[in-house]
Amino acid sequence: MSEGGPRLRVNPIACQAHGLCIELLPELITADPWGYPIIAPGPVPDQLIPLARRAVAACPTLALLLAAGPDQADAGSGTARSARRPRAAR
Amino acid sequence: MSAPGLTAAEPGRPRPDGQVLRLLPAEGPHDLRAHLHRHGALPLREAGRLIEAVEQSGLTGRGGAAFPAGRKLRAVAEAAARASGRAGTVLVANGSESEPASSKDSVLLANAPHLVLDGIALAGAAVGAATSYLCVAEYRPELARAIAERAQAGLDAVPAQVSVTAPGYVSGQETALISALNGGLPLPTLVPPLPAQRGAHRRPTLVLNVETLAHIALIARYGPAWFRQAGTAQAPGTALVTIGGAVRAPGVYEIPLGVRLGELLAHAGLAGQPEAVLTGGYFGSWLPLPAALHAPVSAPGLREAGGALGPGVLAVLPGQCCGLAETARVLGYLARQAAGQCGPCSNGTPALAEAMNWIAFGRPRDDMIGWARQLTWLITGRGACHLPDGAAVLAASALEVFGEDVRAHARGGPCARASASPMLPIPTEPGSQGR
Amino acid sequence: MSPLTGGGGHYAAFVQTSSTPLWYATRATGLVALVLLTISMALGLLSSVRYQRPGWPRFVTQGLHRNVSLVALAFTVAHVLTTVLDSFVSIPVQDAVIPFVGSYRPFWVGLGAIAFDLMLALTITSLLRTRMTFGVWQAVHWTAYACWPVAVVHGLGTGTDTPVRWVLALTAACVAVVAGLTLWRLLRGWHAHPLACTAGTAAIIVALIAGTAWLTTGPLSPGWSHRAGTGSLVLARTRAAPPPGASR
Repeated sequence: MSEGGPRLRVNPIACQAHGLCIELLPELITADPWGYPIIAPGPVPDQLIPLARRAVAACPTLALLLAAGPDQADAGSGTARSARRPRAAR
Repeated sequence: MSAPGLTAAEPGRPRPDGQVLRLLPAEGPHDLRAHLHRHGALPLREAGRLIEAVEQSGLTGRGGAAFPAGRKLRAVAEAAARASGRAGTVLVANGSESEPASSKDSVLLANAPHLVLDGIALAGAAVGAATSYLCVAEYRPELARAIAERAQAGLDAVPAQVSVTAPGYVSGQETALISALNGGLPLPTLVPPLPAQRGAHRRPTLVLNVETLAHIALIARYGPAWFRQAGTAQAPGTALVTIGGAVRAPGVYEIPLGVRLGELLAHAGLAGQPEAVLTGGYFGSWLPLPAALHAPVSAPGLREAGGALGPGVLAVLPGQCCGLAETARVLGYLARQAAGQCGPCSNGTPALAEAMNWIAFGRPRDDMIGWARQLTWLITGRGACHLPDGAAVLAASALEVFGEDVRAHARGGPCARASASPMLPIPTEPGSQGR
Repeated sequence: MSPLTGGGGHYAAFVQTSSTPLWYATRATGLVALVLLTISMALGLLSSVRYQRPGWPRFVTQGLHRNVSLVALAFTVAHVLTTVLDSFVSIPVQDAVIPFVGSYRPFWVGLGAIAFDLMLALTITSLLRTRMTFGVWQAVHWTAYACWPVAVVHGLGTGTDTPVRWVLALTAACVAVVAGLTLWRLLRGWHAHPLACTAGTAAIIVALIAGTAWLTTGPLSPGWSHRAGTGSLVLARTRAAPPPGASR
């Protein structure tokens, strides 16, 4: 079962390889041979969430998204949703 | 009306023993009269019961993804209930068959169009569809005739509107179809939102393969227990498969899921000692022969054997062809067919095709083979659709199954078989997109 | 109304009877705002050509662009406030946002209103970027290509200091920077959109030529104040009591 917590994902259609996310969050995002971002799998560690939010806001085409959890549906390209803290287990 | 039972094999066209012909009529294409004679009137059940029946039957999508059809119906019905009071849902029957090696959907539409149209009517009623589309590669006269017959008989409350899919490999993809129906380009869009939540005309949209809808038309009449009489517990029912390559009787067969690959190919008349079979189409995987002959032909069965069922494509590699050459040609086709929307795919898939080209037709060094493997990892999961994933899976399976050939090519250049005439069809491409 | 004679005097009387400090402040904040707007445009253009160097990553260009734009807006607001508060010429606050309705140099002040409105739209949409689709944000952001030249022409047409040599040189430098970077950006985009980029280049060349011609026959030639619509009453007051320093 995958963990809860916010996850980063890229809208590959909107992404134009500007590379700001790679500059701002090298802990989780690396560049492929053509300059496009490769995102480390799994939820974003708590201490990196503010940096992840900054990277999301910095993307010139709003292609980087921070979704609340693995099966959360985003509104779609162009609108980034901010992460919510994962709910405590019952 | 009695359930369809055992039918005699057609002369000259052997079928696996014990097969129950459900979808394809043994005696030739059915017009409306013949269809009603065989299957009876359209049973317009109450919506909830059809969805439950489909869920109990265990029917999975026959378009390639093998997603449980009942779950899809349920999701769209629930989305429609949440958006209550608004314009209804949309049903899209996908008969585009963009996979070049598959012909089951066109055979089904030519021979039993009324089963498909029944499925559209029933599934549409179950999810409250106010609009129904039937997407096809080309608008054939048989289909026009079938729709005219139903219109004359006043059978369908919401008649299906025929839409011709744009040529091209990605045009038949679920979100690409919806994008085209919405007036946009026939290219895949980002998911989420899923079509079940927001699709054509911003309404919840149910997209099902035409064969899946035909099965639904039968489940509505004869029940889920009848459906489960064929097939296995994990993969119930029958399916249409397209068998090609080194067999004496290539074509579309209807099989009970779970039949052994060896048995099926034997009935299609396996020729010679082929070394591999392509399962699942251009998104699928090669399986080595004779090792894979024991594998059951079903989505879980083939997946366990390292292959895939996909839209039911089984292409046996003839002895005179080179598997690497076939793969290289298919990858070149996929690369040209890429939508060109996503950087990793538009860069990586052509690079992978070029690397495979070197391996198949040149004298590859180790770093070229390593680069090809790295590319399969680099492009997987990084596009809006699964074209790069499919290309990666195909390439990786070729490098594994034809490993001996790879080493032989590395030592002495391409084999003579690489220049044999191709087995796998590569369409000439007015449908090329991207660049 | 009497000229400022020097020190002392009640502050309220000071403000009512003389406009010199506010007038200087208007001119100064206007010039500074123009320079900052130019730097902002330059950084935005560098962003669109994906400029970066080993010690200058892209997020630096982006961050600077954002901060410089906000400071430019601050100085523009100061420029507007000092203009409105200055009682020497009646420019009510609505003239700052509604173009062409004023009585003092209506056209040239109106251009300033247009530029200010565009700056407000640019700032608000950028601060709320994540709440709209990328297409909407981008369409509004492209109006920056209109905002900046309108601001320059506003400055040249209204500005008291246009004939002053160093002011002219400063304005020319700003124009050179933005024109040069825009041509670079058009060159970069030529491959993908040849028609649009050629048209853009032609437009820049035409604008430079037309602008120079207008400048020499307009603000730099005598009688401009009158032609610009300064109003005979204000002109009379000015001739009667010229403040120390430059002429209106």
